[in-house]
Amino acid sequence: MAAPLVLVVLAAVTVRAALYRSSLAAFIAERVEVASPLNAWKRVVEGLALLDLGVSPYSGAIFHETPLIIYLFHFLIEYAELVFMITDVLTAVALYLAIQDFNKVVFKKQKLLIELDKYAPDVAELIQTPMEMHYIPLKVALFYLLNPYTVMSCVAKSTCAINNSVIAFFILATIKGSAFLSAVFLALATYQSLYPLTLFAPALLYLLQRQFIPIKLKSKSFWLYTMQYASLYLCSLVVIICLSFFLLNSWDFIPSVYGFILSVPDLTPNIGLFWYFFAEMFEHFSLFFVCVFQINVFFYTIPLAIKLKEHPVFFMFVQLAIISIFKSYPTLGDVALYMAFLPVWSHLYRFLRNIFILSCVLIFCSFLFPVLWHLWIYAGSANSNFYYAITLTFNIGQILLISDYFYAFLRREYYLTHGLHLTRQDGTEAMLVLK
Amino acid sequence: MAAAVPSTSRARAAAALLLLLLGCCWAALAGGPQDQAEQFFRSGHTNNWAVLVCTSRFWFNYRHVANTLSVYRSVKRLGIPDSHIVLMLADDMACNPRNPKPATVFSHKNMELNVYGDDVEVDYRSYEVTVENFLRVLTGRIPPSTPRSKRLLSDDRSNILIYMTGHGGNGFLKFQDSEEITNVELADAFEQMWQKRRYNELLFIIDTCQGASMYERFYSPNIMALASSQVGEDSLSHQPDLGIGVHLMDRYTFYVLEFLEEIHPASQTNMNDLFQVCPKSLCVSTPGHRTDLFQRDPQKVLITDFFGSVRKVEITTETLSLDRDVAGFESKFPEEELATEPLKYAEQLPVAQIIHQKPKQKDWHPPGGFILGLWALIIMVFFKTYGIKHMKHVF
Repeated sequence: MAAPLVLVVLAAVTVRAALYRSSLAAFIAERVEVASPLNAWKRVVEGLALLDLGVSPYSGAIFHETPLIIYLFHFLIEYAELVFMITDVLTAVALYLAIQDFNKVVFKKQKLLIELDKYAPDVAELIQTPMEMHYIPLKVALFYLLNPYTVMSCVAKSTCAINNSVIAFFILATIKGSAFLSAVFLALATYQSLYPLTLFAPALLYLLQRQFIPIKLKSKSFWLYTMQYASLYLCSLVVIICLSFFLLNSWDFIPSVYGFILSVPDLTPNIGLFWYFFAEMFEHFSLFFVCVFQINVFFYTIPLAIKLKEHPVFFMFVQLAIISIFKSYPTLGDVALYMAFLPVWSHLYRFLRNIFILSCVLIFCSFLFPVLWHLWIYAGSANSNFYYAITLTFNIGQILLISDYFYAFLRREYYLTHGLHLTRQDGTEAMLVLK
Repeated sequence: MAAAVPSTSRARAAAALLLLLLGCCWAALAGGPQDQAEQFFRSGHTNNWAVLVCTSRFWFNYRHVANTLSVYRSVKRLGIPDSHIVLMLADDMACNPRNPKPATVFSHKNMELNVYGDDVEVDYRSYEVTVENFLRVLTGRIPPSTPRSKRLLSDDRSNILIYMTGHGGNGFLKFQDSEEITNVELADAFEQMWQKRRYNELLFIIDTCQGASMYERFYSPNIMALASSQVGEDSLSHQPDLGIGVHLMDRYTFYVLEFLEEIHPASQTNMNDLFQVCPKSLCVSTPGHRTDLFQRDPQKVLITDFFGSVRKVEITTETLSLDRDVAGFESKFPEEELATEPLKYAEQLPVAQIIHQKPKQKDWHPPGGFILGLWALIIMVFFKTYGIKHMKHVF
């Protein structure tokens, strides 16, 4: 499988290099869909220039990157394009390896359940075979590298690529089973942008499953392992934050990075839901609504954990999607990360109900973003409502996509244990309805 | 004996009288050039400036623009150049669409005198005439990008004439129909000018209703002020011209202009004559003046001290020897100072270095402790994950 992967990587690198050299690079770099105030490349350059002039980059409201990014780019700023291409390749390779291992785990689990007779007799067509699972890792890498969203994000040199690669390494470490590395990468991901905190739950569930520790609230080993993992995670987070203090000898970065993510002061339009709301809100309501919106991101973790405790990797996928829809400054790079996972659930295709409409919605909205931006900002014949409408539609499309996959997954699980031909008590055909 | 004593006393008295007479003659003779010399040194100014402000806009305030332009014309005729005049007109009457005689501003009916000639230089026009700009001109606190024509570049030997006209009230003058300057502000501005040594002597003339209230608050030395009316009186306009349709001038300035038309650069007319201009019979209002802050006697102050730019020239036919007591002059300085080398300009930093001297940019480097800590952590994680035993495979 190495050769096709190398081919895919080469193709991706060529596409990116070609775009870097073309005139589209400057145009893409300033698009708000790929460059948000948190991860725009312009701001990184500005922050480093301020540092060269002897001023702390956090003193204004421009720079919102973490000190480790300052350290990384201080030495690599001339090779920025190469760095971003390598980051994308690393993400793809990490996802490839992770999904390869995950497939092995799924297959092993499936075999175990078949031998234990947990499956209904007539579900042979639902069982995944190694043949069809063989090309999934390659497809994942392909989906990530050649996704137009990823390509545009890379050409715009948005540091979202670095976020994505840290999350990908975290997923790799989790699926490989190393609690220590998983905690370290999760701490790094949380340190970068606050929201991967919610990925703690699926990672914990996966590692518990791997250690064969049953998830019962009364079980001592459950709490022991949870405490171990949580302490590893928190300690590494504290160590990284304290280390960042020593870069500039100040705690300025905490309000600039985390305060900025949580309080959303910058209302530049992006593909998210925050900017329009807060632009038209009265001042004395804004604190309340900021809290509501931020809780909304973290809110789905516990119900999903309860429902999906047997399927932590799917939980991780859904959680990633929720983060990239509801975070305060989403960009297309975040969308690309969870879309890379879609080939893993390709066996759910027969249960997806709205996939055609949703893919049309997503594609059309992606094309309408620049059109309505031009009409609003340059032509002046539209206003922010138009752009926000497309943002809303895009996010609704994403939410419906995720809920469609969620429903399809649960449906398949139900069919696996109860058989494909469901009958009611009087023998007529029954319909499965999600309540 | 009675005849002898009177003769000696008479002789003594006659001798005393003769001496007295001689003394007087001598004093008179000597006092002539001395008086002239005193006159020569008395006014103390070396240059003249004029700040002429018209503060009202709209067509029916034609007379205020005509007032200001009349004073401008006189001042220019008597020798003050445009570079030393700051002319502020709040509206354009000459090219106003309602002007039946475009490009003219008349000061007298029957269009006898066009005060808007070919060489009128307006420095602050239209909406630039604001209280802020006026005060900035006076105090010199002007942004560096202001052109020279808009600056009052006076020094401590300048005599400045400030003429203001418009609509006013008790203690204020209205600018542009939307803001006003108070007498306190004006007095403070003049005090700033005094403290910054921006004038030698100042003549302030104001032609508005209740104009005397504007000079009530002055407290800086060397200011003489004239106003067209007292507090509680209105200044009235002179005559309307039926062809143009508006009043052409205000009474006070009309008579001042008439007075000034007779002044030429060499005239010896003094301020007391200016105070008599426009009595109540002609002006209907009572003009007022204030001289208590002025150090010289107004009798001795020439009109051309303020309205003209008269250079003091003394023509002499005798040769003057300029070598004074050089030895005595030099001995004032101690010997050591003369021993040092005279500084030459070329010995300073070369100009290129002065111009391009920027603070040297120090590149920022992450602190060593940080780098050490980071890589120590990375190595620790690496070895924790992969174990020390793999080291020999790695290396």
